[in-house]
Amino acid sequence: MHSAAWRISLWATLAFACGTMLVFVGLHRFVADDIQRRSDAWLSGEVEVLGDVAERTPKDALYGRVVGEVAELAGKEVPNRLAAEGNENDSVFFLQMGSDSRLKLWVGAGNGAANLKAIEASRILPDHPSDLHVQGFGVPFRVASTRIDDGSSIYLGLSERDELRVLNNLRLRFVLLWLLLVLFGFGIVFYTTRRMLSHVRRIADAASTIGHTELSARVPTSDRNDEVGHLALTLNRMLDRIESTIHQLHTITDSLAHDLRSPLTAIRGKLEVSLSAAMDGEQAEPIVSAIEELDRLTDFLNKSLDVAEAKADALRLNRSEVDLDELLRVMIDLYEPSMSEKGLEVKLRSGGPLRVSADAALVHRMIANLFDNELKHLPMGCAVTISLDVKDDAARLVMEDDGPGFDPEVIPHLFERRVKGKASNGHGLGLAFIDAVVRAHGGTATACNRGAHGAQIAVELPVAAERHGTLAGAAGA
Amino acid sequence: MRLLLVEDEIEIQSFLRSSLEEAGYQVEAAGDGKTAEQLAIDGQFDILIVDLGLPDQDGISLILKLRRQGVSAPVLILSARRSVDDRVRGLEQGGDDYLTKPFALAELLARLRNLLKRNSPAGAETTRLRVLDLELDLLRREATRSGQVLQLTPQEFVLLEYLCRNAGRVVTRSMILDQVWGMRIQPDTNVVDVHIYRLRGKVDGKGQTPLIRTLRGVGYVLKDR
Repeated sequence: MHSAAWRISLWATLAFACGTMLVFVGLHRFVADDIQRRSDAWLSGEVEVLGDVAERTPKDALYGRVVGEVAELAGKEVPNRLAAEGNENDSVFFLQMGSDSRLKLWVGAGNGAANLKAIEASRILPDHPSDLHVQGFGVPFRVASTRIDDGSSIYLGLSERDELRVLNNLRLRFVLLWLLLVLFGFGIVFYTTRRMLSHVRRIADAASTIGHTELSARVPTSDRNDEVGHLALTLNRMLDRIESTIHQLHTITDSLAHDLRSPLTAIRGKLEVSLSAAMDGEQAEPIVSAIEELDRLTDFLNKSLDVAEAKADALRLNRSEVDLDELLRVMIDLYEPSMSEKGLEVKLRSGGPLRVSADAALVHRMIANLFDNELKHLPMGCAVTISLDVKDDAARLVMEDDGPGFDPEVIPHLFERRVKGKASNGHGLGLAFIDAVVRAHGGTATACNRGAHGAQIAVELPVAAERHGTLAGAAGA
Repeated sequence: MRLLLVEDEIEIQSFLRSSLEEAGYQVEAAGDGKTAEQLAIDGQFDILIVDLGLPDQDGISLILKLRRQGVSAPVLILSARRSVDDRVRGLEQGGDDYLTKPFALAELLARLRNLLKRNSPAGAETTRLRVLDLELDLLRREATRSGQVLQLTPQEFVLLEYLCRNAGRVVTRSMILDQVWGMRIQPDTNVVDVHIYRLRGKVDGKGQTPLIRTLRGVGYVLKDR
């Protein structure tokens, strides 16, 4: 459950983070471009003015000072300017290069040799400000140039340091804001997902406890009209239908049982009354066999209804603790004389008391059926081995014999109703009943032939009363 | 013994009435809950037989109503339903008993006797049982016939003890399974017969009067006469 909330939140946050990051990158680019455009406009304007001044100023001794003053003044009006650390203004330089590529005039920090070298190395076109990397400066300069009539070129450079500082500042704020947004977004998504999934979890929890016996329970619903609320409502409607179907089935089997049992009771009673009246053997014989037939019919009716209910997962269980080991010993005690009478040998291999939560009456009948099955179908001189052990929280009861085994044709359908071997004279309900009881308890029954000789029926019953459905299934999505 | 039979099926009511009267009960019968209520409150009954499916009300409601009105006689509940209601279990724990339809008359009579015995002050627990020349020492778990010790397995002793306690009365196979092995099952093989056959081989020796009789279609009886 946790993982689902985590996964959803992580993916949502990732998408959100990418989106906001893209927005920030776009904003950053726009701001950077704008700053550059402004400084380029300033550079182009200033270099033009300086070119004008340089052209018009007579080339006398004062030339250097006049142009230098003007350039220095221009340097003080730099846009986006931050206070320089030192007195010297190293963010702006002015450089006039003669037609012989020699430094004619320099205004700026240092002697300008490195700048000149850098300018010579790169080609800077007039009227197109471009970047210039000067040795000794960590930050490039933005340089605009113009050519004046006397063949010399004027370069005005503006350090990009301030621009970068502004952008760095901006980036830092962006990153901090972005982190905050992402964390906040993650928190919100995680909280809402967890809330939603916890509701789903409660539904799954409740649904898993609704088993065979407790069909009247319902999953919790909420007032919210969202998908989860719908899920709960749909589940409950489904449970309503299942409950009413099961209830109907119970009503049908109950009334069928009632409608058949009442006349059976009357018939049996009358037969018994007439049996006690007819004491001599000849008259009694047909009555006796009629009573026996009637009892078989009753047993058949009970088993049929049990199997029918179990097939529909509607067998009603009345659970209590049943010690399978003790039960098997009592059963062997009960069946041993009949079996040895038939030359059958029976052995029990058990690791001691083994308690399961089960309907005692049904389990008694189920195990009696297993024994009846062996007793009826094994020929003289066979051996039956019963072993009982625990495997993976399930009690495993295996009944093996060394008889002729099952008819190969019927093996795939052994646990179905009315399926029986050619030689069998039963009504074909025994194994179906075993399967029905075992399945109603959440276990499994399997039957197979042991190689060439013998049959094996294995029954597995959960040790603890099982809960239907698992949480893992609901949380996996 | 006065017995109130509450059963709506006329056929069942009539054969039960005759069989119960034959067994020595003084029977009054009611076909619905209302009549039963009046009869039960007016007359003093020692025991009641109540069918669960009455036309006008549920048998259990009737029993609970009678209990509230001070009718304390034990009740044998007859049920044609498939599952045993939780409320029936409650009543069973409260000292009543139930029987599912169809049933053997012998079993019905045995359960009635048990209910009456439970409600009468308990006599001193016997340590010896004696039926004709058969004698059982319940403490030493030893059985003798005409002074001769019988070699019985513990299970055979329990079976013989049960037959002796019901000497002269019919016990059915399902009663034996219930009382001796503690299981309400209906095996479709002759497991009980083989136990009886073996026991008879040990109890009824050559030249002795056979004590254990088989009543085909009904059950067994240990002769006491």
